[in-house]
Amino acid sequence: MIESENTSFLYPFIESEETDATSLLDDLAASARDKAAESVRLQRDSLDEYHDALATAGTEMADRFRRGGRLYTFGNGGSSTDAATLASLFSRPARGRPVAAWSLAADNAVVTALGNDVGFELIFKRQIIAHARDRDVAIALSTSGNSEDLMAAITEAKQRGLLTIGFAGHDGGRMAVADDLDFCFTVHCQSIHRIQESHAMLGYRLWSVAQEHMARTRNGAHPL
Amino acid sequence: MTITAKPGGSYVDADLSADLAAAALDLARRFHNGATLWVISPQWEPHAHHVAVEFVHPVIMGKRALPSVALVDPDPVAQARVASQPGDLLIAVASADEPSVVDAMRRAQAWGVLTLWIGSGPRPPAGAAHHILWIDTDDPMVPATGTFVLMYHLLWELTHVCFEHPGLLKPASDECTDDVCVTCSDEGRLGEVLFEPTDAMSPALVRTANGEEWVDVTMLGPDFPQVQPNDLILVHAGAAITRLGDERLREEQTSKREVKR
Repeated sequence: MIESENTSFLYPFIESEETDATSLLDDLAASARDKAAESVRLQRDSLDEYHDALATAGTEMADRFRRGGRLYTFGNGGSSTDAATLASLFSRPARGRPVAAWSLAADNAVVTALGNDVGFELIFKRQIIAHARDRDVAIALSTSGNSEDLMAAITEAKQRGLLTIGFAGHDGGRMAVADDLDFCFTVHCQSIHRIQESHAMLGYRLWSVAQEHMARTRNGAHPL
Repeated sequence: MTITAKPGGSYVDADLSADLAAAALDLARRFHNGATLWVISPQWEPHAHHVAVEFVHPVIMGKRALPSVALVDPDPVAQARVASQPGDLLIAVASADEPSVVDAMRRAQAWGVLTLWIGSGPRPPAGAAHHILWIDTDDPMVPATGTFVLMYHLLWELTHVCFEHPGLLKPASDECTDDVCVTCSDEGRLGEVLFEPTDAMSPALVRTANGEEWVDVTMLGPDFPQVQPNDLILVHAGAAITRLGDERLREEQTSKREVKR
């Protein structure tokens, strides 16, 4: 038995005859722990790397919320769902003060209308044109940092005076070098999954800083 | 002092990693047999969408696209009921006290659907789902820190590893070798009523994990109709022997909702 396990690599088709799942389950569990440890490391490294910038960005967000600003988040695919989770964190947090925030991918009618009529690369930009005021905030999430629809919206947002924040991955792509982004948080990793997990943590830190700052001003330190 | 969230990966200990592994193998086996994965997350819809897009459009090129759909209607139980077929999969991302998920998880047994429940906070009771993948913490912010995202990412990654072991994806033949296999011995199978009886002596059409069947409901009492659509009953040897405490459950849910408001 032990011998056959040790030589199984010589028989690529032996897998189809596999009947005992025990060793696979052990391997899967070990793999889950390894990936989880990598996720922890990456989240901590990202928080450390951007500690100061996150504090500054979160504070600027709070200032805008205090002036009635609202938050737009956007991304594609899994990042669009993470953008929606981030918007919900700001708009209906389990604790703290809710502020106006929504995901620009949330409305199927709007997204399909724009995609069909003016092109997919404009689905977010066109909404920024419609909604944005100069006191608002835009957060774009892209694991590649290259998505055309996000870049177009960021440029538009910057022109309209919004605070612009990008969450990127890999080497940061176009976002890392975009003049139109006030802050770019690049998670240095090749795994889209691990990048998204760190994006969530970075977003949570922004929210924490903004909450802390809003509470402070509300207590009278910086009266309107 | 800024509140710092605990990284999601730090919750993945020996127990949780073993739970994830077992869940992934079951997912792979059911997908291999043609299952569709339904996903509900009434409190955090984006999580349901993220799970679905993960399986439908994998981030790693060359991985199989698998059928998965987020069910985000206001009534996820009604949506899952009509969507699911025996052999399918249902993942809920929800707290243990989310009424519609409690209900869906219970009914899934009658639908013949394998259930996974991802969440945090107080745990659902043991057996509330086939796989309970839980973050044991009272931190209410966990759903927004990437922890659930990590959980379903790991599930997806492990599931695709299982596809590389086709010998282990065949229906587990050892499932029904026991002499007292409850599933097969007709010992009080859970059923959900589709059609109520037309008169006091007529049977009701009932859905169980084995499909649809006409079931004698006269043992439930003389009051007609003994059952109504969506009632849960226990079926034994072609007859309904008990109607489950649906009303009580519904009242509990109503009072919980009121408390939340």
